Amino acid sequence: MTWQRETFKKIKQIPREEHVLPGTALCAGCGGLEALRLAAKVLGDDVVYVNAAGCFTMLAAYPFTPFKGSWLYTTMGSAPAGAQGVRDALDVLIAKGRLSKEEDLKVVVLGGDGSTYDMALSSTSGAITRKLDFYYFCYDNEAYGNTGMQLSPATPYGARTTTSPCSLQHPSGTTQEKKDIFEIWRAHKPPYIATVAPRYPLDLEEKFARASKFTGPKLFLALSACPTGWLYDPGETPEVAKLAVETGLWPLKEAINGVITHTYIPKRKPVEEYLKLQGRFRHLFEPTRQDEAIRHIQARVDDYWKQVNV
Amino acid sequence: MRAVRFHGRGGQGAKTASRILGTAAFLEGFVAQDSPMYGPERRGAPVAAFTRIAQTPIRERGVIVHPDLVVIADASLMQDPAAHVPEGVDERTVVFVNSPLTAEQLQSQTSLPGRFTTLDLTGIALQQLGKRTAISALLGAVAGSLIGLGQESIREAIARELAELGLAAPMIERNQTVAAQCYETVPRVAIDVGLRRPTAPVPLRTPTYDPPTRGAASITAGPNSAIRSMAGWRTFRPVLRPDLCNGCWLCFANCPEGAITIKPDGKPAIYYPHCKGCLDCVEVCPTDALTVERETAATREA
Repeated sequence: MTWQRETFKKIKQIPREEHVLPGTALCAGCGGLEALRLAAKVLGDDVVYVNAAGCFTMLAAYPFTPFKGSWLYTTMGSAPAGAQGVRDALDVLIAKGRLSKEEDLKVVVLGGDGSTYDMALSSTSGAITRKLDFYYFCYDNEAYGNTGMQLSPATPYGARTTTSPCSLQHPSGTTQEKKDIFEIWRAHKPPYIATVAPRYPLDLEEKFARASKFTGPKLFLALSACPTGWLYDPGETPEVAKLAVETGLWPLKEAINGVITHTYIPKRKPVEEYLKLQGRFRHLFEPTRQDEAIRHIQARVDDYWKQVNV
Repeated sequence: MRAVRFHGRGGQGAKTASRILGTAAFLEGFVAQDSPMYGPERRGAPVAAFTRIAQTPIRERGVIVHPDLVVIADASLMQDPAAHVPEGVDERTVVFVNSPLTAEQLQSQTSLPGRFTTLDLTGIALQQLGKRTAISALLGAVAGSLIGLGQESIREAIARELAELGLAAPMIERNQTVAAQCYETVPRVAIDVGLRRPTAPVPLRTPTYDPPTRGAASITAGPNSAIRSMAGWRTFRPVLRPDLCNGCWLCFANCPEGAITIKPDGKPAIYYPHCKGCLDCVEVCPTDALTVERETAATREA
């Protein structure tokens, strides 16, 4: 059975109103900002954002804020703990009658991949275990971007970062495999997890609409195509995001109470098309082609889809 | 000692230009020092980089406050207070601006002192390199020419620095050729040699402290980021041709900024003060209703 969108069937159903206003200092062509902007169209304005330090720090750089709601800033490792505090405070206020139920707010954690995959992993694990009613929005640009693109556990094999350069010892650059945070989250059996990508706005909107029906942890992984760190022209963000999905490298899927559904089955173009667009993979093609590394990346994708069994 | 300060926008290549200049000077046997400003080095944001060149060891460190030469990669930075372009610029400072205007035209438009010289590097890069790209090699060559370094060392420095960034050999060669052209054509302005700038002692002032309540943030402020104009970030702008638009909303759905709104008639409109010029909308437009135009000082204000 193929996955069907129920709420968002046509692109003209995307709400026109903006909830993340322009004027932030995020890079031109930021894929993460694009994903957040679309997500906020479903989340609305009654939101408290709990922001782990990262690129999104620049969203609400004093004295400016793009949000109509509140924004709480935390360290990289403690955003879900911050969310717990905000949720508890809201619950207490409602229980005491000092806040009406209608005035309740959604609590949304914003964390980069450095925070999500690395520093805040234990904090997130704790929050899911405690069944905290919150959203987690991870903008994954596959490295510590705000500090200048250092290796993170989300960096895929073969990418060049400032701390995993292409060298004689490691001609492929990064030697590790990208950590599968989706499966780590899924092992906790939260009610809703999904991956999204900015070039697929309807898929993204639909997933946020679906998640709103669940109480408890609702976790999102957003592909955050990054012109600054992935070294491509900002105008190519839609193309890079599209190819990440179409090559099968970034599967669009959701897991409801641990049961996975793939929401889009790509025809699977060769990964080369995706890699070639980005400067961080250029060393795989120039000056000498590293066929083995490219084959390795392709094989990982093939293996993944083989076990998906579609 | 010669002190050169580069101003650019993230992604334009100001940092690499400072490295090219430093490496070229080093290749000629000088002592050289180059460093970028540390800060939010993001696409479009103002960045600065510094190169010092001398015959004797350089003891000075940090940012350059009294530059002999200022290289401005993007003319819009001159109006941006966050870029600190005027800092330490006096009538003896040579100021290079990447602009299609002449030095006289530019001088008449600005209150900045200094001896101006200009060359349209962005135009040259578009014409000769074919696509919008970093102009670090051209900036480095122009700075080298103005400071009096040899063409050969600039050429070699470009090869070294661009190779380090992972550029392919043919692209490096094209950069070298275009850079050589810029080296030749940039109007030279004499830099005072041997004149030492008198160092004035800076009087230490006791800081005055305000009570914490004064100037503290109003944390209940509403959404106000939209009052900032992002126009200065653009080198290029998307232009909508309404006659070709089929009203598909893809540009609206893919604009990371929300700078594209949908009018009551269902057609999109670009609000330029919010557009950073990423051109994602141009990429997704299926009917080529969105085209790219180069930003000029006049269009930026419109």
